[in-house]
Amino acid sequence: MRQRILVTAALAASVALTLSACAPSAPPASTSTASAGSDTLTIATTTDVVNYNPLIGNSRSDYWITNLMYPHLLSIADDGKKEPALATDWGYVDATTGFYEIRDDLTWSDGEPVTAEDVAWTMNAVKKDAPSGTFYGQLGNFESATAVSDTRVEVKLTQADSSIIEEIGFWGNVVPKHVFEKAASVADFPNDGSDGGWVGAGPFTLTKVQVGQSYELDRVEDYPMVEGGTPIPAKVVYRVFPDVNTEILALQSGEVDVIANALPPAQVDQLKNSSGIEVEEVVGLGYAHMTYNMQNPDLAKLEVRQALAHAVDYDAIRTVVLQGQAVSTGSSPLMPVLSDYYDDSLTEYEFDTDKARSLMEEAGYTADSSGNFPVSFRLIYSLQDSVTSQWAQLVKDSAAKAGITIELQGTERNTYLAQTNAGDFDIYAGNFAIMDDPVTNFTLAYLPGGAINYTYVDDPALNELIAQGAVTSDTDEKIQIMRDAAKIVHDNVYDNIMYTQNLYFAHSDKWDGFITKPSELLSIVNPESLASAHKAE
Amino acid sequence: MPRSSFILRRLGRSVFTIWFAVTVTFLLLRLLPGDPALAVASPNMTDEARAALLTQYGLDKPLIVQYGLYLAQLIQGNFGVSFTQSVPVMDVLLQRLPWTLLLTVTALVLTTAIGIPLGVLAASKKGRFLDKIVQVIGVTGQSIFVPSIGVLLLFVFGLTLRWLPIGGAYDTDAYGLDWYGSVASHLVLPAVSLMLIQLGSYVLTMRSTLIEALGEDYVTLAKANGLPYRRILWKHALRNALLPTTTLIGLQLGFLVGGAVLTETVFAYPGIGRGIYEAVTQLDFPVLQGAFLLLAITVVVANMLTDIVYGFLDPRVKTS
Amino acid sequence: MTSLEFDPAATVGMTTPAEPVATENERAGLATWRAFRTEPLGLISLGILALLVVVAIAAPLLAPYPASYGTDVLKPPSLDYLFGTDSLGRDVLGEVIWGTQQSLLVAVSASVIAIAFGTLVAVLGAYFRKLDGFISVIVDLTLSLPVLPLMILIAALIGPSTGTIIGVVAAFSWPEVTRLVRSQALTVVNLPYVDAARLMTTSPLWIISKHIVPAVTPVIVVSVVVTASRAVLSAAGLAFLGLGDPTTWSWGRILYEAQQSGAMSSAWWLTLFPSIAILLLVLSATLLSIAYNDARNPRNRAR
Repeated sequence: MRQRILVTAALAASVALTLSACAPSAPPASTSTASAGSDTLTIATTTDVVNYNPLIGNSRSDYWITNLMYPHLLSIADDGKKEPALATDWGYVDATTGFYEIRDDLTWSDGEPVTAEDVAWTMNAVKKDAPSGTFYGQLGNFESATAVSDTRVEVKLTQADSSIIEEIGFWGNVVPKHVFEKAASVADFPNDGSDGGWVGAGPFTLTKVQVGQSYELDRVEDYPMVEGGTPIPAKVVYRVFPDVNTEILALQSGEVDVIANALPPAQVDQLKNSSGIEVEEVVGLGYAHMTYNMQNPDLAKLEVRQALAHAVDYDAIRTVVLQGQAVSTGSSPLMPVLSDYYDDSLTEYEFDTDKARSLMEEAGYTADSSGNFPVSFRLIYSLQDSVTSQWAQLVKDSAAKAGITIELQGTERNTYLAQTNAGDFDIYAGNFAIMDDPVTNFTLAYLPGGAINYTYVDDPALNELIAQGAVTSDTDEKIQIMRDAAKIVHDNVYDNIMYTQNLYFAHSDKWDGFITKPSELLSIVNPESLASAHKAE
Repeated sequence: MPRSSFILRRLGRSVFTIWFAVTVTFLLLRLLPGDPALAVASPNMTDEARAALLTQYGLDKPLIVQYGLYLAQLIQGNFGVSFTQSVPVMDVLLQRLPWTLLLTVTALVLTTAIGIPLGVLAASKKGRFLDKIVQVIGVTGQSIFVPSIGVLLLFVFGLTLRWLPIGGAYDTDAYGLDWYGSVASHLVLPAVSLMLIQLGSYVLTMRSTLIEALGEDYVTLAKANGLPYRRILWKHALRNALLPTTTLIGLQLGFLVGGAVLTETVFAYPGIGRGIYEAVTQLDFPVLQGAFLLLAITVVVANMLTDIVYGFLDPRVKTS
Repeated sequence: MTSLEFDPAATVGMTTPAEPVATENERAGLATWRAFRTEPLGLISLGILALLVVVAIAAPLLAPYPASYGTDVLKPPSLDYLFGTDSLGRDVLGEVIWGTQQSLLVAVSASVIAIAFGTLVAVLGAYFRKLDGFISVIVDLTLSLPVLPLMILIAALIGPSTGTIIGVVAAFSWPEVTRLVRSQALTVVNLPYVDAARLMTTSPLWIISKHIVPAVTPVIVVSVVVTASRAVLSAAGLAFLGLGDPTTWSWGRILYEAQQSGAMSSAWWLTLFPSIAILLLVLSATLLSIAYNDARNPRNRAR
């Protein structure tokens, strides 16, 4: 008995010893300026940062945290229009040359100025090394970038592309050349701060990390892009709560001040009515959709796609699954939030199972005695996407009423991606967070070989319109071309866009002054918002 | 058997166990479906870029070559570089390991401290009402679904009573002595939750082995010699009955390290189990291989500790 | 052997020391039953298990299959909805009832597979001594693998379905069975009457089925219960991590959907009822096996 206690004690002691080395010592007393506060803003997220290199990282947490350190050239408004950020002016010199004018008052946290050379170097490095983040995907027609002065970057294109300047500006970060160029390739540079800490040019810089628990960022005293020139919170701490239930409990108990993830639809009302909690609405800039794989001979028939489109109870999905927090796009890829492009003459496919049945008959199918047509389609979705997982069941049930069998196949995200990539599905269900630029999205979604062309559509008329749109620089003309393209997509059911989801974010009522931006990526945790957030009076 | 050859055999078996775990993991990752390049890349990535990623990861080589390279790497003490984080695998894992060990050992200490006396109590009252109560409590604990009890504990002690913090392993703004305090307070709920679900095993093991021991001849003899019952129970029977419990502790120490995924998820505790779950979702092969290697090592070390404790407890082992 | 969070009662069997072998099966069985009858805990457990089986079989009579959605969202339990409704307005009572089916199916299938395979391996090993060394090495190695992380890995890679869960649970449960049965089988193989049988017949099959299998049956009975209840917790745990079958109702799926919708703390009824169902099944299975063990052991009975 005594020995057991001894052994136990020895074990405990050894662990205590291991940990004793970890106790942090207090930092030097804060030297905060008078206007800025000394408060810590704590934000909950459900995942760890995967990669600190903004050119590689793909997860939400990666974006949120690196976005506080590595500026973007452009920001985005609620209607998808681009706004100045690091760049003050941008556009085209000629059809194959674009430019950005950037601010001259930003410095990296190690004192070096942020220059056009950093911008050009970042773009060229991404083009060369092809890191796995979203940035590289935007560089299709990009050839090279040159810093023609300290504040002006010019971009050579391989062919005319009237969208690329805004897309690169919005999706691409700028990283410090003098730090990142030490790595052989930006595609495998971890940027984990192991070489003397992080160097950023945002309102906050990462200083301390406990993997699986917390990411601490300290205020950058001089940040000209926020009112007053200094971010208000002294510290921003991201904390990891893998379970959304724990996240909500932590917000209610005051352990955290903000939840960075969009609330599950069913929790929005619940939290709006909770004392001590405020809920902010943020417009969505993306959409949820289903695509019908035209490589399947049944689905290659227009009537079958139409029948499927008419066999979905869109209203029920939006009212029940999304709790009314979503808007119809009129079954068009030009969502209402893109107010310039939106075309209200396109209307949503009507939910009408009789119509669906007659369309199936038109397509040459005959229902058996129990009313079922001799077809069965396999619908794939990701289990990590809880909203889609929920409405997939509704899609199956309403199609069954029209005599069309849908077999659900929800899988783990990686399997889903592999299936998607291989075209191993009949119907694909999924969503995109930000579809800000119609030309770019149509190119990816509807041109043959496009990365997200899950319909496998190749329609000459549509291809022609998209190609035209890409080179048209006159805005009104471009809008008309894209509307024509959207009509083709709508009428041929090349895509079935179901809704744009508006998002809700919860924060403690002890904090105020957040600035909302569209989508879950920016929401209330964008750099401007966090730099302006302050304790409520 | 000479001592040195015994140690050699033990060592050989340990290396073999570790090799087995490593190989199983290696093969599972490569033979089951799953494309790490897809998991890493953003959806607008071209096929060529993804193929380049696979080459960069070394996954384009034949399986046997990959395996050879991997083993050669391991022997040099190189555990590879994470696909997604581009940093050495051990950097990723060693950040989590101390917290896992702290949680595991605390839970084990709590469980043995409560489980063994309860088991003794049940055995000494065998068949009586108290015995049943103890059994039911113990078994109820291990039949509970972890996340349910986790959220309940957090709701009661974290939100309603505000006695304990919600999530994490320590407060980021605590320093010096306060820091130890915050480590301790963050440890309470996850450790209690782990303790609850393990308790039953200890109680039941203790109970059944003790009942067995109390029926042995030497106990009967001791009784006949007029030794007091309590003394027989605590001094003689217990010593023997502790052996299976020791085995149990050893086994659980090894398995708890990677096996507390649900607890770590609900309590947002930065442990290895959660790390493995995340690496699975990212198909980060090197991290997974490293993690399973680490777990295999833990099992081996736990077994060795068990053997040592056995030596203390079992007179037969000692004298031979 | 243990994967902790998924592992009820694995030790119930493990620590049962080598049993006196029941040579006269019928009489021993009767004696066991007589002793068992006096164990209220065992009887109650048996009753609960029987009830759950009835619920699973009679599910179509007890509640309609849960619809895809309803209009009353997240309603607490009331007379209309005894167990309340979930975030899509579905009746939780119906989900729990239909979930019993899948949960029991997983439990029974996984344990049957694990036990059939585990027993086969063990008995072969015990009878053909040449195989035994190899088998026990494999068993030891498999038992030293981290079960839960491996289950997560395999379920994620293969893709979630009821079949996957059954397979994964069975794949990691058989070594436990083998070890348990093997120790029992070894004691039988060395008994004089088996040696005598060896002299009389050349068919190992006959000896195995006539002498060894009956002798290890009691151990198997305990294993069935333990493995089955472990399967239920494992399936629920995997489902909770998003690796369960998304198209069939199971207790784990109810909990997973509650978790995904962030309703676990506010809508207590979503968590409570499936958790109670799991608790009842695992608890009664474990108590049943303890009672059976106690009843079977003549030494225990004698007291």
